[in-house]
This record gives sequence, structure tokens and C-alpha cells, in this order.
Amino acid sequence: MTLTARDKQLRGQSRWGTAALGLVTWLVAALFFFPVFWMVLNSFKTELVANTKPVLLFEPTLDRWEAAIDSIPGLLSFSEAFFNSFLIVIVSTVLVLVLAIPAAYALSIYPIKAWRDALFFFISTKFLPIVAAILPLWIMAKELGLLNTHLVLIILYTAMNLPLAVWMLRSFFGEVPRELIEAAQMDGTGLYGQIKDVMLPIVAPGVAATALLCFIFAWNEFFLAVQLNPVEGSTVPVWVSTNVTTRGNFMAKLSAASTLAVLPVVIAGWIAQKKMIRGLSMGAVK
Amino acid sequence: MTAQAEPTGSPDPGAERAAKIAEFQRRDKWRRRLPLLPALLFIIVVTQIPFIFNIWYSLQDWRIVPPRGPDFVGLENYTEGYTNQFFLQSVGISITMTTAAVLLSLLVGTALALLLDRQFLGRGIARTLLITPFLIMPVVAGLLWKNQIFSSTFGVLNAIIEAFGLDAIPFVERYPFWAIVTVLVWQWSPFMMLIILAGLQGQPTDILEAARVDRASSRGIFTQITLPMLRPYMELGIVLGAIYLLQVFDHIEVMTGGGPGSTNVPYFVYQRSIGGGWDFGQAAAYSTIVVIASIIIATFALRVLSSLFQRQEPV
Amino acid sequence: MSEVSYRDATKTYPGTDAPAVNRLNLTIDDGELLVLVGPSGSGKSTALRMLAGLEACDEGSIFIGDRDVTLAQPKDRDVAMIFQSYALYPHMTVAQNIGFPLKQQKVPKDERARQVREAARILDLEDYLDRKPKQLSGGQRQRVATGRAIVRHPQVFLMDEPLSNLDAKLRVQTRAELADLQARLGVTTVYVTHDQVEAMTMGHRVAILDYGELQQVARPGELYRHPVNLFVAGFIGSPAMNLIPTDTEDGMVVFGTSRIEMDPAVAATVSRAGAKDLTMGIRPQGLSLGSEGVPAEVVVVEELGSETFVFVELEHLGQIVRGRVRVDAEYRVSRGDYTNVEVLGPVHLFGADGLRLKTATEQGD
Repeated sequence: MTLTARDKQLRGQSRWGTAALGLVTWLVAALFFFPVFWMVLNSFKTELVANTKPVLLFEPTLDRWEAAIDSIPGLLSFSEAFFNSFLIVIVSTVLVLVLAIPAAYALSIYPIKAWRDALFFFISTKFLPIVAAILPLWIMAKELGLLNTHLVLIILYTAMNLPLAVWMLRSFFGEVPRELIEAAQMDGTGLYGQIKDVMLPIVAPGVAATALLCFIFAWNEFFLAVQLNPVEGSTVPVWVSTNVTTRGNFMAKLSAASTLAVLPVVIAGWIAQKKMIRGLSMGAVK
Repeated sequence: MTAQAEPTGSPDPGAERAAKIAEFQRRDKWRRRLPLLPALLFIIVVTQIPFIFNIWYSLQDWRIVPPRGPDFVGLENYTEGYTNQFFLQSVGISITMTTAAVLLSLLVGTALALLLDRQFLGRGIARTLLITPFLIMPVVAGLLWKNQIFSSTFGVLNAIIEAFGLDAIPFVERYPFWAIVTVLVWQWSPFMMLIILAGLQGQPTDILEAARVDRASSRGIFTQITLPMLRPYMELGIVLGAIYLLQVFDHIEVMTGGGPGSTNVPYFVYQRSIGGGWDFGQAAAYSTIVVIASIIIATFALRVLSSLFQRQEPV
Repeated sequence: MSEVSYRDATKTYPGTDAPAVNRLNLTIDDGELLVLVGPSGSGKSTALRMLAGLEACDEGSIFIGDRDVTLAQPKDRDVAMIFQSYALYPHMTVAQNIGFPLKQQKVPKDERARQVREAARILDLEDYLDRKPKQLSGGQRQRVATGRAIVRHPQVFLMDEPLSNLDAKLRVQTRAELADLQARLGVTTVYVTHDQVEAMTMGHRVAILDYGELQQVARPGELYRHPVNLFVAGFIGSPAMNLIPTDTEDGMVVFGTSRIEMDPAVAATVSRAGAKDLTMGIRPQGLSLGSEGVPAEVVVVEELGSETFVFVELEHLGQIVRGRVRVDAEYRVSRGDYTNVEVLGPVHLFGADGLRLKTATEQGD
């Protein structure tokens, strides 16, 4: 519960104390955000300016942005990378939800006796470092002709996010009172109806929070993308890394590329942050 | 499920009825399990098959440079592996790096949540700014801090330090471990902050009011009411954070390339396989050791943090 | 025909030793309102849920009309339930809540709206059709839950302590409304409560359960006058019957300094079985205070306005026992007064096994 100023007065906290704390919070927030701000700032500098001592004031230019977006034949282009990322991330997130929602239902409403073990098993799949799995995955992908395709990353990102989604959705579903499910059963719904008409509307903020997290992790994933899709079907993180060269310094261009790369997730996160908090407080803990 | 329409009167004789009930219970069990199957099958196929392959490779002597094998050698990779000094070093780094990152993020995140849990002007914007680091791509974050903050030539930090007349500090070169931990904490504190914020907003107001009436001090309320109430949230943060932070790779690759004291287990395995060592058999053995160890540790840890799995028993 | 019967129905929760419902045999007539009553843990809710299909029968069967529904899913049983917490869908309006079961039955939209309006009219909810549950009062929510049940025109209504969450005054009012509604609709109803006053006032018949076993099922008056055992005797009637361990002397029941004659059949049973571990039961309404009777001291006086109940202590078989006596509202008495307790009304005698010993007239039945 957040306290209003009046509440605080009643409780003996001073108005000035609150304002001072607000100021401190602002300073801390600004400090935390500063690296991001700095990066965005640098993207508007020319390479000459960016690759010398840091300055705050300069003549801004969009030159480096153009350079970043420019597509060089043979190399992954900005639009290609963004298209691939969007496609892969959205499809895999949808697939995660489609798989995780029934699974969460099974683990929360009429759970099997071994539900804890099932949950633990899901989590344990994240103990294997991806770097170890990459060899067999690469070989399998090659055999199945899936290298450099969207499908391979969709499948892998789904597997990557599924444990988290199952865990979170399970605890959200657990918050739905049992009697509501029973009433829905008596009113004639089957599993599908119970989930669609009763449970999902109630846990919607939780589903949104889960989807957002899946989106973030899938979008930001680098290792699998660069190993399995180095050329075609490649994603934004890979595209960003192509801007890192040992030949000369392209700090500003890299900054521009980086800013573009993180923009979708940042915007999504900014919009959905309230839902995230509401979703998390709904019962991710229990 | 269709209803059973029986002719009037007496119930079935005992054995047939018992059989029907048994059949019903069996079908009910499957009805409960069915929704879980798609997700379970998917995950088993996609993660366990590579894992089994991994175990198979670990039993081989298989290198690319110089080319050798694959030849079956049984547990040789394991016996050589688990005493390997560099491997053990990387395990130590994994543990310390994860512990430091998780605990510091939790600390900072909790402090941020406490600061945010009050009404003040522009609160929403402050919160928006604060969650941004978590949304940034790890490779971008690593590059950003390495080249633009920590760098001794272009870095902002050093610009400030030099403005005070001191010598520039090449942070990443000199303190690779802590440089990485700093970026990790910067990125994961917002995550912890969100979880703790969720917990703070779930505080029952009547308990807080009762404490005030009982003339409890602010600190007293915090330590004796708020903190215990936040415990399950902190535990969730620790568990989720640990699971992800144990697998940190991108930051290391981009910032130090495995420089001294900054190689954790995933990076170590990478170095041994496609990152230059090209010894697939050995790398696979290391991974398997790690997975088994993680499962054992996690089993214990989760029993301790059992509040996370606490739920009313299914009826 | 929607007669309901439990036949040897049994359920044991996994991990427990004793069955929650133990070989229940009970038939509810078509159109009857039968109340299942008992203390917590008596199995009444479990029995109701077994009828609903929310709990499975481990043994035995359940019939609705001619159909054996023991293995049928809840939605195939044609029963509707009102939950203690109402279980209203929080994201739906009142109209959507009431119409939800019809939607599942694929009733066309217009017909659905008509039936919802009809139910709302009966329950006086017409002004609230567009509100969401959280905007309603407890009593209104209860009515929405009722509406959702009646709109299905089921064969059986199940009600699981539907009044428990209402305040006392609303409870009394709603009690009458529910009874009236059931009578008008004529639907077989099974009603669960822990409140014996509710049971007695609402039920055509009342079934009392204790630890999963049916103690007695009869009309309220019958339960009151002829309880079958100690449990029923102590459970039915408010304030409770005075139950006092006693003995016989010279063929008469001992009560303090009084001696009470026994019905011949009762006397015969006692002399046959031996007069050990007997308990006498007498309601507060069967005692009075005055100048005659057993000497007693007043301990607590409970003035209700319409009548007064007086707790007294008296000496009985060498010990001090307490009992409650009903007196008229005008009767003046205070704590510490000395008075006498006289036996007026029917005295019941319970044997060592807890069963009430039958009188000659009863045995003749």
C-alpha cells in the first residue's frame, strides 16, 4: 500500500521528509538510467566526437543512424534482423502460452500427486548451460535442415521460456478460488471453457506479465541466435554484434544500432510495467 | 463425459460396480494429466535429447584440433575433469559471481522498491527509468559499460575521475570480475525491485495500522513486519535470479573474453569446445558434472526455501 | 421424477483413516427441501458435493430419479449449486453471471436474455443486471448466485450454507425468501447448514450427520420430541437440552432430590439391561423455578425479553450439576438467589450406548 501525503501526516512523517526522499529517488533513478542515456546520446555524435574524450555538448547528427540502418549486401540488414526477431519472438511467445496455460492448469487445479516434481523437472531443464547443448543442437539442426531458419529459434526459445511460464502461470492460476472452477464445472463448462471464460480473464495481468518476460528473454537472446542462424534468419542481437569490429572504432554507429536494438523491448516494458507489478503481486510468490 | 443411464432399481452387484469405479478413477487420472502433456513432451524432446547426446559425447575422446576420435573412453573425461584446476576455478567463479550478483541485486532492488513505495511527483517516470536496465540486451549492456563507461579512453567514469586529477582506472582490465558483476547488478536490480514492489504493495494495511497504534517505530515496523512479509518475495527473486545468473555468458564474452578471474562455468565450457579448445568430449563431461551438481544443490536449496512450493494440498 | 437417493454412499479422503461420509443411505422425495445439518466435520458438505459430482464416491451409489449418476460429471447430472462463497465470476456482470450456464447449453442469445430477465425479476435484481459482483452487497450477491442456479431449471438444487456469510438479520429474512422460492418452484432441494435453527425452520425434513454417519432423518417436530440419541438430543433445540448423567432408585429416575416416574416400557428396558450409565434429558422448557422441587442456586440469568433462561446449580447424586431453566420474562430472579427446580415437561432417558429408550407409545408404532 502506498501512503498518501495525508496518511503520512497522520503518521507523523513530515512533508519535507517525503519531498526529500522523492528527490533522492529521482536522483537514483537518473543515475541508474544514465548509462542508457549516455548511449543514446552518443548515437547522435559523429564518430570523431564519440571516439575521443566524452563530452555532453556537441553538434548532433543523424549520420550514424543512417549508417546503422544502411544495408550492406551480403551482411545482415537492419530490416531483416528486426523482421526476423519480431517473427521469432512473437511466435515463440504465443507457443509458450499455448503450451504453458493448460500445463499450469493441470498443475494447479486438479494437480497430479507429483506436481512438485513436474515443476522441478521443468526448472531443472535450465540447469544445462546452453553452451553445452549447442553442439548436439547444432548437429540436430543441421540434420533436420533447420540451420538458418526461423523455426529452430522459435522451438528453442519456446523451450527456454516454457519453465518460467509454467511456474508463473501455475501460481497465478492457484490464486483463482477453487469454488469458481467448481461453479464453472457445474454450469456446464469443460476444460477449455473453464480456462477461456473463467480463469484467463481473472489472471489476465499475470498472463501479461509472463508474456512480457518471455518477450524480453527471447528478444535479448544472443548465443543460440549467433550459433545457429549466423547468416540468414538472424536476429537483432546478432545484428548489433556485427557493428562491433576490431577494425577502427565505430562507437557512435554501435550506439545507434544498440539503441534501435533495445527499443522494442524497452517500449514494451515501459507500457506494461504496471501490469508486470500487478501480475507479480497476484501470486507469483505462493 | 456421458452420464450412465441405468434401468431402475437395484445397483449393480459388487464386483461390476467396483470395476466401474476403478475404470472411472483411472480415466479421471488421465483427464488430470492430459493438459500437462503437450508442454511436458515438448520440453522433454527439445531439452533431454541434447542432454542425452551430451552425456554420450562426454564418454568419448573427441577433438577437432588436433583431430581425434570420436573414440569411446568411458569415464576418462570425468576423472580428468573434476580435478582440473581451471575447471574448479571456473566453478568457484560461477558460485561467487552468481552469489554476488544475486545478493547485491536483491539489496539494491529492495532499496529501490522501498524508495518507490511512496507517493511522490513523477513516481511513474522514476519507475520507468529504473526498470530500463533490465530490458537492455545483455550484449548491448556489456558493450555499453565496457566502451562507454569503464573505458579508460572514452569512458564516462574515467572522465570524471580524471577531472578530479586522478589517474584513469582501466576497470575492465584491472577488475574484470567486479566489472562484470557491476553490469549484472545494474541489469538485475530492476527485476528484484519489481518483485519486491509487488510484495510491498500486497502489505495488509490493518497490520501496519495496528503497529502504529502500538507506537512501533518505523524501523521496528520495517524489521518485524515488513521484512518477514517480504521473505517469500525475496526467496522468489533469489531463486529466479540464481537460475538465470548462473548461465551468464554474453557479458563475459563481450567484456572480458574470459580474462583472469571472470570465467564462469558456461564460459569455461565454451572455451573448451567451440570457443577454441575444440575438445568436445571433455567439454561435454564438464557440462554433465555441472548439471548433476546443480540438480543436487537445487533439490536441497528448494527444500530449505520450501515456502515457494507451499500450497494447500490438492483435494 | 426427481427423487434423490444416496445408497451406501461412502467417501474417505486420501490420507485420513475414517470416512468423511460413511455408508450414507438417504432418500429425498421429489419436491422436498431436505436439510443436512451437523457440526464441522460431520460430512454434510462432503455428502452434498458427492451429489454434485465434485467429490467421487469411493463406494456406494447416488441416484437422481432413475439415473445412476455416481460416475457422471457434474454438468451431466442436471443439478445446480449455490456455493457458500457464492462463487460469482468477478469479471462478468450480473446478467452474464446468471446467463452463463445457459450460454454453455448453447441457448440462443434472445432466449437467454429473456430467461435472465425472468430470473432477475423473481429475485428482485432487475436494477443490477449491469453491475459487477464487487459492486454488490452480500445479500445481492447471494441472490445472483441463486439466480444462476434457478435459470437452469435443474432437477435438483444444492445449497451449501448459502446464508452463512450474511449478517444475522439478513439471514433470517433471506431464509424465508429461499424457503418460499423453493416451495414455489417445487424443485427437490438439498440444503446444508451447521445452524440447527436454520435447519428446523427451513427443512421439510432434517437429516443430522455426525462424523460422517447419519444419526436421524425426520421432520423437525419429530426430531425435537423424539431424538434418537444423545447427539441429536443435544444438537436440536436452542437452547440445548439439559443432559445429566443419572441413576435410578426404586424404579424411579433420580434428579437431585426429586424422583421421577418412568414410562413402563422404559422401566422395563432399564431393569432388563441394568441401570448403568444412564443420562436424563430435559429441555429448559420442561423445567420451572419456584418453591417446590430440587433446591438450587442461581448462577447466570439470560434475559431475552420474550423469555428468560436461568442457569442453576444443584446437587445431584453427590455432585454439583448445572442446568438451564426457562422462565417467563416477568419472573424476577438474580444471581445468588436460592430457589427450587421443578420438573414439568417430558423427561428422556438415554442408555449407556447413547440411544434414547423408547416409551410404550413409541414402541407400539
